Amino acid sequence: MIDPKTAWAPYTPSAENPWDLRKAGHLFRRAAFGATATELQDAVAAGHEKTLDRIINGNPESADFTATSDFMASERSMPAGTETNRLAAWWLDRMLKTAHPLREKLSLFWHNHFATSNSKVLNARYMLGQYRPIHQHSLGSFRELLIAMGTDPAMLIWLDTTQSVKGKPNENYARELMELFSLGVGHYTETDIREAAKAFTGYEIKDGKGILNESQHDTSKKRVFGQSGNFQGQDIARLCLAQSACPRFLVRKLFAFFISEAEMPSEELLEPLSQFYREVEFDTGKLVSRMLRSNLFFSPNVYRARIKSPVEFAAGIVRGLDGRVGALPLAESLAELGQVLFAPPSVKGWDGGPAWLNAQTLLFRNNLALALTSTEDTRFSTRCDPAALLARHARRSDAEIVDFLLDLFVQGDVPDASRTKLLDYLARAKQTNYPAYWAENDVVQHRMRAVTHLVLTLPEFELC
Amino acid sequence: MATRREFIQQSSLLGFGTTVPAFLGRTAFAAPTAEKLGAKDTILIVVQLTGGNDGLNTVIPFKNTEYYKLRPNIAIAKDAGKKLTDEIALHPAMGELASLYTDQAALCVVQGVGYPNPSQSHFRSMDIWNAGSTEETLTEGWLGKSLKAKSLPSFHIASGNETAPLALNGAPARVPSITSLEDFQLKMASSSGADKKAQKGVIVDVASSGRQASVPMKTGTPTSPPSLLDFVSRTQMNTYASSDKLASIGKNYQPKVTYPSSGLANRLKLAAQLIDAGIGARIFYVSIDGFDTHAGQGSAAGAHANLLQQVSDGIAAFYRDLAERGHKDRLCVMTFSEFGRRAGENGSKGTDHGSGAPMFLVGGKVKSGILGEQPSLTKLEAGNLIHHTDFRRVYAAVLENWLGIDSKPVLGDAFEPLDVFAKLK
Repeated sequence: MIDPKTAWAPYTPSAENPWDLRKAGHLFRRAAFGATATELQDAVAAGHEKTLDRIINGNPESADFTATSDFMASERSMPAGTETNRLAAWWLDRMLKTAHPLREKLSLFWHNHFATSNSKVLNARYMLGQYRPIHQHSLGSFRELLIAMGTDPAMLIWLDTTQSVKGKPNENYARELMELFSLGVGHYTETDIREAAKAFTGYEIKDGKGILNESQHDTSKKRVFGQSGNFQGQDIARLCLAQSACPRFLVRKLFAFFISEAEMPSEELLEPLSQFYREVEFDTGKLVSRMLRSNLFFSPNVYRARIKSPVEFAAGIVRGLDGRVGALPLAESLAELGQVLFAPPSVKGWDGGPAWLNAQTLLFRNNLALALTSTEDTRFSTRCDPAALLARHARRSDAEIVDFLLDLFVQGDVPDASRTKLLDYLARAKQTNYPAYWAENDVVQHRMRAVTHLVLTLPEFELC
Repeated sequence: MATRREFIQQSSLLGFGTTVPAFLGRTAFAAPTAEKLGAKDTILIVVQLTGGNDGLNTVIPFKNTEYYKLRPNIAIAKDAGKKLTDEIALHPAMGELASLYTDQAALCVVQGVGYPNPSQSHFRSMDIWNAGSTEETLTEGWLGKSLKAKSLPSFHIASGNETAPLALNGAPARVPSITSLEDFQLKMASSSGADKKAQKGVIVDVASSGRQASVPMKTGTPTSPPSLLDFVSRTQMNTYASSDKLASIGKNYQPKVTYPSSGLANRLKLAAQLIDAGIGARIFYVSIDGFDTHAGQGSAAGAHANLLQQVSDGIAAFYRDLAERGHKDRLCVMTFSEFGRRAGENGSKGTDHGSGAPMFLVGGKVKSGILGEQPSLTKLEAGNLIHHTDFRRVYAAVLENWLGIDSKPVLGDAFEPLDVFAKLK
């Protein structure tokens, strides 16, 4: 169905497959954290090339953003004992306000890849310390990133490397390095793991940095993937990177993240990207650019072929409504939806895909959407205000209101019946008997909030 | 090679046949008795110990000198454990579970459980246990498949950060995950009853119209792969129907015993409430995470002890609560973990991934005792205990003799049911 030869060639709009609102929405959902109405309109007007350039290259962060975020992350404001939700709030705030959302999005990908949880690390300084190389290399070298993780203090604690010494190796890091970080099950043996574990002995944390303590390090010869040597941790990482399984493993994971969770791509489809990733020496930015600009990315096959993660779901609402919400209550709400940043459930990260949605998390999603649109919810105050947004965009009639919201959140792409139901509700809500003390404006606000909430419960809105 | 994740995703999209959850179409089962094995109102509660529980420090061969040699730092001292027999003791933190054995005759310990060529990957091995199969590609769970054969109302009682287990995948209607009854409600910003009804009507209607949208709406329009939208629609419709039903259950459950304050105990308490509400619930799935004790796991006290205490206290409270309500003979609680741990401790006073480990079954009708020998501590395979009982024999027993489901189509092969249930009159 999909031709690997043309799949990765650059997308060019055509009469059958034009650059339009739907494609702009698709791009902002996948490569950013959703869009405002203005961003969507600008993207459609600017055309696909300019929009892709903007999204991929991003803009430099403002001095204010950087200073504020750095201050918030300083030791004074977030000491080691800071609770996880505050860490998560700090990152959410970056996601919502950054001038280069793709970079934060990739950082989220790598956080899920090197899934490390503060529930065990119990040190906000180390967690923030791990975020730094992840953010630095998110669109850069996976090679550097993989090597850096071997001495990252949060990782050293998370996978017990600090407990692993000469003569008494602990296998935890060596196993996950191969199974989850670089190769995948089936591309190493149990002997490879036991041998590699020796190379990761003697690492410890000194003055907040991961270092090798030679006196605790096993200097014997190790044999991994058929090669022998007095390997240290970074040598094992390099051996993993040299395996042909490595780029394939990463490309498959990035495919699910950016392109489609709905189908399993064939080896044949992914092979050109795997080769490319190796050719560009694991430059993730180049790989991601190629993926996002491709025919396949803009093809009907992969449209709405992902389930939004809780972060994508919530950020999409806040950004769409031009909202300013407290990041801390937002972070706390995301825990209910199953995603606490800096605290993935295991070293495998979040399962993602359909696993995000079960009965309970679905209700939490609906109820979070309600809270974000409602003045009656004390958590978020009134800073997401659908009525004000609609007024700013001069949408007054019921049809204008419904179409604006549908364009904003699902690019108008819903069955006609759904649109009709929303219009019916607005009509009925005019006939409702409201409390006597409600002013006319209260009624308007109520109808706007209610219909916005209803739009956010559409099944289409759950898809990314 | 295909990863489990992708296959699950694929299969998740295919496996949802009917829309209405099974328990909605059924009336309550009144009589809380199990007259014969596989009787109509037996209940299964699966307790998953995530991370690889150290079986050797859970069920302890306290007379075996080899045990103390293998574990100079973390072994449980000879007289510290809760003795079940002259050879075998439970971890000292498991006094409650031990008392179900000594006072209630309601605990069955199955020794040395595993499967051939054990995987030491958490995720692969957990998939194998969840699927009840060692095939390379695992897409459906053993309980999900069972639900195809017999529609038994089921719940996954989840903790906050937890997704539904593979074990429940493949069921004809998605098994609902619930964290609490209070949260299992659809909320609206409504100004009146009529307004609320109108809003709810829209929410339910747009959910179902998502299903019709699998037909392309307009030519030239990109349409989503129908299955994914369909999956969301079905999950929504399922959930809204379930939440209506559960809204009728009273919020103030008064347990007959005091449950300990742990996440696991809270989840079991919710299961007890749903059982007692008489909505016909038959299968529950709960998990407790944290058993990946590579370092500093402790001995009689410490990290592992705390986990075992939660398991022991939680299950015992659950059993006693329901026993007081007359349900004890309907209960079968089954624990498992994806693997046991290395026989010898590692240099970090913890244990690395191993294989071969015990399972517990708790209930008024389980055959109380210790089934099978303690695996040898001298004859090891790469440092790991060698299993002698395939876990699918336990599953087969639960399916055949407790739930009344033919196990062969579920397990893909005929496994002889292990003799874990007491013979009834």
